[in-house]
Amino acid sequence: MTTINANTKIATLLKQHPGALEAIVSLSPKFTRLRNPILRKVIAARTSIAMASKIGGCRVDDFFNKLQPLGFTIDKAATKMEKHIENKPIPAFMKNLSPGQIIELDVRPVIEAGKDPLNIIVQKVKDMEAGTVLKIINSFEPTPLMHLLGRQGFESYAEEINEELVNTFFYKQVNKTLPAENEENDYSKGWDATIARFNGKLETIDVRELEMPLPMHSILEALQTLPEDKALFVYHKRIPVFLLPELAEQQFSFSIKEINEGEVHLLIYKN
Amino acid sequence: MFAPTGNTGTTKTTTWKVVIPFYGYAAISFFAGTLLLLLSASDITNHYSHPHTLAITHIMALGWGTMIILGASHQLVPVLVEGRLHSNKLAFTSFLLSGLGIPLLAYGFYVSDFGWPAKWGGRLVILAIIAYLINLGVSIKKSKHENVHAVFVFTAAVWLLATATAGLVLVYNFTYPLLSKGSLSYLPLHAHTGVVGWFLLLVMGVGSRLIPMFLISKYNNTRQLWWIYGLLNGGLLAFVFIFLYTGSKSLLGIPFFAVSGAIILFGNFCYRSYRQRIRKKVDEQMQVSLLSVLMMLLPVIFLVIIIILLAISPKENISLVTTYGFIIFFGWITAIILGMTFKTLPFIVWNKVYHQIAGKGKTPNPKDLFSNTVFKWMSIVYILGIVLFTAGILLHITIVLQFAAVLLLLTSLLYNWNVIKLLMHKPASL
Repeated sequence: MTTINANTKIATLLKQHPGALEAIVSLSPKFTRLRNPILRKVIAARTSIAMASKIGGCRVDDFFNKLQPLGFTIDKAATKMEKHIENKPIPAFMKNLSPGQIIELDVRPVIEAGKDPLNIIVQKVKDMEAGTVLKIINSFEPTPLMHLLGRQGFESYAEEINEELVNTFFYKQVNKTLPAENEENDYSKGWDATIARFNGKLETIDVRELEMPLPMHSILEALQTLPEDKALFVYHKRIPVFLLPELAEQQFSFSIKEINEGEVHLLIYKN
Repeated sequence: MFAPTGNTGTTKTTTWKVVIPFYGYAAISFFAGTLLLLLSASDITNHYSHPHTLAITHIMALGWGTMIILGASHQLVPVLVEGRLHSNKLAFTSFLLSGLGIPLLAYGFYVSDFGWPAKWGGRLVILAIIAYLINLGVSIKKSKHENVHAVFVFTAAVWLLATATAGLVLVYNFTYPLLSKGSLSYLPLHAHTGVVGWFLLLVMGVGSRLIPMFLISKYNNTRQLWWIYGLLNGGLLAFVFIFLYTGSKSLLGIPFFAVSGAIILFGNFCYRSYRQRIRKKVDEQMQVSLLSVLMMLLPVIFLVIIIILLAISPKENISLVTTYGFIIFFGWITAIILGMTFKTLPFIVWNKVYHQIAGKGKTPNPKDLFSNTVFKWMSIVYILGIVLFTAGILLHITIVLQFAAVLLLLTSLLYNWNVIKLLMHKPASL
């Protein structure tokens, strides 16, 4: 059976074991919406155990205790990294908000209708001007969304009104605005942006100990089975210059980060 | 996500500052060699020990072939042994000494003056080789990944030192009788230790790694490579011994068959890695490089003809021997360099220009740093040039030789065009 940790996606659990759904639903009434097949599809894929535990108001260990009897192997080491930050301090942008700055979006009807609100949210986010705040009204804390927008330079703050109502505020920072359209291409090829883009969708390979030309072969082999939406993260000793034309030939893009002499990280992906 | 760094501190890419001077020098030498070939086209039909022929041969062998190999191997050997180059200073020293020595030597030959220019030229070249040999030996020793390819390269460098030392002895022998016979009678010894011991051994050692790598082939056969190594070195040692101590012509069949066997095995090695390649499309640079592997057979064929003719009549066929030498230096060695330059230099330049900004923005494909169109024309002009020149030597037609020499000069200009384009490359605006 699969080894799971706090970062394992709910979708993975559901796929691995038919009993996982009922086990999770029994943890919190908030998870009953996972029974809705559409919601299950859209939300479960984006939500890790750690995020879900926050949404459901339970602990990561509760998940593990329920899932272990089903045969999942628990990796506690990775769990420690994902510590809860309880009582998050109110960020500065919340303190002097004027009502004119706030755009409200209630996604509860969308979710009740069994649809994925992400597209509506993304559309709203696009139209936002710097310095404005998007207020999302929902029945749970949208942790996956907070991560997603966080990577695009949004600060977020969730305010729990009651069990069934959570307001989440997203603030577009003035100094961290997204670059204009024509610069975007270069920017998106930068290392940090690419890493953020493939967060959770990375396959890693370490070729540092391999003798030439095995690194190149291993990388090309790994790329053959790489899913379209994933990126290959390579630990290398040097920039593999001879690989680069081959990547171009196969229409792969790459980002390179030179950590130091003898340590290079590479990201290879399809655009 | 970021795993702890492995023990990789011993690996390092050789700086371009060490490598690029050698490439630049070689490109200029190629131009000088083909220019002198044009100016001396009519002398080629004379005896192959003609001063101009000797000068051209040494510009091609040392300035062109050896310099580019020295440059490339400073970069490649650390990669082959998973280590780093022992000393940049020794590499610069090697460049300066050979860079000064080669023109002196060539000048001495050209004007037939075996006094101080030729002698100092020879001495400087020998010192350069010693510096290279030390650098190479320590780099290999320091790494813990000695492999068959590195052993090929190191042994080849030892043969180069032996060849150059023998060459200097021959230069002295012109003015002061050190040896029992005249210098010219030792030329086959000097030429073959250089061609087989240095060039052939080195090309096979490095090629057996690079050719599968560039073809993206998984083929590897270390056992076969050791056989090649044994046949080449055994054959060459046998040749030296038979040549110096027996003078027997029939015994020379032993080294001939040993070296031919090695060439056939190597051809087989390349063919198999070609068959097992993953990349179906073979680019122009690899086509020219594979052509040069086939070209290894041409000198063998010529040698067979020379030997058969020698067996029939005792008089040496001068133009066949000249063709033999021409095919080796302008044919085989030049072809492999023309192909391999654009398989190595663009990457060295790419590393120089882009490695620091690689993470920040879009970088061009290393293959786009030179003009492939110019490369294609260079290949066509080059092949026409060597075919016509070979015909010219065999048929003794000066006008064909001159026309072919123009084509070869044009080849060198197109080659230089692309090399200069590479060396002048500035990062594209990001």
